[in-house]
Amino acid sequence: MADTNMMRRLKRRKMLRQAANLVLLYGGMTALAVILIIPFLWTLSTSLKHPAEVFAFPPRFIPEQIHWRNYADAWTRVPFGRFFINSLIVSFSVTVGQVFTSALAAFAFARLDFPGRNKLFLGYLGTMMIPGQVTMIPVFIVCKQLNLIDTYAALILPGLFSAYGTFMLRQFFLTIPKDLEEAAIIDGLNYWQIFTHVIVPLSKPALFTLGTFVFLGAWNDFMWPLIVTNADSMKTLPVGLAAFQGQYSTDWTLLMAGSVIVLTPVLLLYIVNQRFITKGFVMSGLKG
Amino acid sequence: MADAPTSGQSVSPDPVSPSPASEAVRARKNILWRKTNVGYLFLLPNISGFMLFTLIPVVVSLGLSLFSWDILQPARFVGLQNFVELFKDRDFWRYLWNTVYLMAGIPINMLIALLVAMLINRKLPGIIAYRTIYFTPVISPMVAVAMLWRLILNGDTGLLNATIRMVQSSVKGFLTGIAEWFQGSFVSDALVGLANIAATRPPNWLGDPAWSKPALILTGMWGFGYSMLLYLAALQSIPDDLYEAARIDGASAWTQFWKITWPMLSFVNFFIIIMSVIGGFQAFGIQYVMTQGGPAGSTTTIVYYIYRNAFEWFKMGYASAIAWVLFGIIFALTIIQWNMRKRMGEYF
Amino acid sequence: MAQVLLKNVCKRYGEVTAVRDVSLAIEDRQFCVLVGPSGCGKTTTLRMIAGLEDITEGEIWVGERVVNYVHPKDRDIAMVFQNYALYPHMTVEENMGFGLRVRRFPKDEIKQRTDEAAGVLDIMQYLDRTPRELSGGQKQRVAVGRAIVRKPKVFLFDEPLSNLDAKLRVQMRAQLKKLHERLQTTIVYVTHDQVEAMTLGDIIVVMKDGVIQQVGEPLTVYDNPCNRFVAGFIGTPPMNFIEVTVRRSGGAVVLDEGGFSVTLPPVLAAKAAAYDGKPATLGIRPEHIHDKATYTGAANAGNTVEAGVDVVELLGNEKHLHLAAGSSMFVAVVDAHIAAHAGRKLPVVFDMDKVHLFDKETENAVF
Repeated sequence: MADTNMMRRLKRRKMLRQAANLVLLYGGMTALAVILIIPFLWTLSTSLKHPAEVFAFPPRFIPEQIHWRNYADAWTRVPFGRFFINSLIVSFSVTVGQVFTSALAAFAFARLDFPGRNKLFLGYLGTMMIPGQVTMIPVFIVCKQLNLIDTYAALILPGLFSAYGTFMLRQFFLTIPKDLEEAAIIDGLNYWQIFTHVIVPLSKPALFTLGTFVFLGAWNDFMWPLIVTNADSMKTLPVGLAAFQGQYSTDWTLLMAGSVIVLTPVLLLYIVNQRFITKGFVMSGLKG
Repeated sequence: MADAPTSGQSVSPDPVSPSPASEAVRARKNILWRKTNVGYLFLLPNISGFMLFTLIPVVVSLGLSLFSWDILQPARFVGLQNFVELFKDRDFWRYLWNTVYLMAGIPINMLIALLVAMLINRKLPGIIAYRTIYFTPVISPMVAVAMLWRLILNGDTGLLNATIRMVQSSVKGFLTGIAEWFQGSFVSDALVGLANIAATRPPNWLGDPAWSKPALILTGMWGFGYSMLLYLAALQSIPDDLYEAARIDGASAWTQFWKITWPMLSFVNFFIIIMSVIGGFQAFGIQYVMTQGGPAGSTTTIVYYIYRNAFEWFKMGYASAIAWVLFGIIFALTIIQWNMRKRMGEYF
Repeated sequence: MAQVLLKNVCKRYGEVTAVRDVSLAIEDRQFCVLVGPSGCGKTTTLRMIAGLEDITEGEIWVGERVVNYVHPKDRDIAMVFQNYALYPHMTVEENMGFGLRVRRFPKDEIKQRTDEAAGVLDIMQYLDRTPRELSGGQKQRVAVGRAIVRKPKVFLFDEPLSNLDAKLRVQMRAQLKKLHERLQTTIVYVTHDQVEAMTLGDIIVVMKDGVIQQVGEPLTVYDNPCNRFVAGFIGTPPMNFIEVTVRRSGGAVVLDEGGFSVTLPPVLAAKAAAYDGKPATLGIRPEHIHDKATYTGAANAGNTVEAGVDVVELLGNEKHLHLAAGSSMFVAVVDAHIAAHAGRKLPVVFDMDKVHLFDKETENAVF
């Protein structure tokens, strides 16, 4: 009988210990999460303040009055609205274009046989090593000579092709069982039909993941749009925001409103697809 | 028993309608033609982009580095002069140093990432939410990040310094309060002295050349999420029974970490270091937005220097030369990475 | 007129030769099985017939024409794959009709053919389902259905039953045989399972290392294997091989194992005479080794062997006795009620009319 009492006491002690550990764990993780979120909250909070409040001491998170006007101002005055549209057009076009050309090329590399295929593919892999800084100067010069500065063409065209996207999709296409294609060949499909009717429907997750990545990359891209745009009307969101900072360097409320405008689509996209995105980042990291 | 035939049945004689040799040859050419050209057709959009935006520019850029050109006037051939000048350029070496200095954040980030990864490597409800939050800074647009940290790091009343000063004043008040208890004694003097030290002004992060780089490193710490994910994946690939066997053998948590976890992370560690270093050499955006390379050039990186040479001062040749030096460095690092990857493949 | 004709067909991948000088004539409506171990070239040969592989040398005829450079879709063939190769995002009905849709057949004809095939294969109730919802056996039937609707000249089967469990395989074998009766079309069938070959084929083609070893009706190949490989490959349990030396002793020819010897009947003795003094391999099927005690034929010193019983396997209807004599081990298949115990001696009789002799170097059958 003493044994069961002792057992019960030991068990209770163990459960208490485990509970305490859990509390500590969750407490720690939450504290870290809060610390990480604070900058975002600060951005949001500042964007709704009156300019005088921005550097008030002691700092407050909740503004005296919520100034929704800041957003309206940012959208029209700066004009973030224009930047937003530019970013949307560019990101969208680049995404569609890049996924499309990469899928076509990946199919060729994965399934079609033609002379020089493997060497060419190695060449593609090789170019992934070349930093963009090497190619951007000549491409800029070409754009300038062709009077393409400050056009959508300059913003979009260079982004339409990607060795990385081709590589990733090729790896994926290789996993599609070959006999599906062979059955299709015997059924009488030509290669274009095989591509559209067999490969593409089966690759939806991979295409979608690539698309998400490309979109994120294009949306966040800073250096290239910086180089090829001078006019405010053509700037994309990141560049516009940075340039704006130069002009209105003390107008933090507007700057933060602009930041929120840049951040929101990204955060939404991320929260909705976070599983894909985090998995994609890990895969791309370890394989590429 | 019949005599065993060796192989194949006898083959029937030539059939009634022999196919003309030329038709077969034509059919053969047709199939080959189609097979080859279909491949190239699919490749066409991609290859043209590749040619236009990668291959040709790379070659042109190499050529450009041997010239001096400011776009307005015709280019002047200068051979390796650009590279010689580069070697003598004090600014270049200074910016190279800046770039390398900023990489000091890499081990810090890795440490934080590893600790957090180990922390959240459990199957608990809501863990995914935490993981999502920790990764969010990584996907945020650089510009927004740069500006918001500029706001936070503002010398006088940015959020960081304001918070530090608030903590300082309460610590000071606390220490001074205790000092009053010991009024007159040396303990009181010591405490007051301590209180004063605690109240030293926090630095003007982005305005002080001595603190600007540490400030950038601090900003970088916010983005540990990427390495964290990689560590998480690696940790999850270590089989549980290794730990169980160790526990039965009596190993402590510390030993388990050093003998099991750490060796199995060597691949990921190496990978993160190389990728971070390569990325570090290409740092540009944050410096452009947050500090414009200053104050006093303390945060100008190599790529920033390329940018200014090419797009502010229009020294195209010189900028290309710098770009090629950068390429050389990155190329060497990538080769190292490929080789190590092949060797380390044995673990997996 | 042969339906499928292979003339000196070779397939090389760089240095490696996968198929070597294969010549074969398959008659109309024949069920021809290509059988052999992995890597023997049977699948490569099938794929060359289908057009999925290029032909390095030789000619392949389907019907009245050479199809070497004809696109698979124009060869009038249909193929059933080992892993079914069903389009995952289409229903069963769409899967089956896909080939016809691409060839722009009229809708009602497609429906009619699909329904007909579905009826034959008993898959009418699955027409609306997707492959994901089907079991292995059902998927296999859909794959066959897809081939049937095309009404081809030749059906090609690439190890279709390999992915099914044993019981299902037996069922499907019977169904395939009935299907062949019903369709009356030429079938070329590849498998590594000699049981499938024996049960399904009108003629079987045994291949090894890219070379045809023997072609013939199943029973012919079983009774008269042309070399050691075919003898050992066809038949379960496999034929026993015992190393012997051929000796003339008196007027008879004896096969001397070292620990025991058996005498050849006169007909066979004449053929073995040339090997006097030379080593050779004796082949005898397990069912031709009998328990002496219950043997109804003539048992004498020339065909009796004193064997020790090593292992007894009871299969219900028969017993497999693992025996040892001299320095050789061999298996006998006997009735389940024969008394035999491991560790004891058991005299057995070799049916010497049914033995085979193989040349030790060339491995060809002498008889």
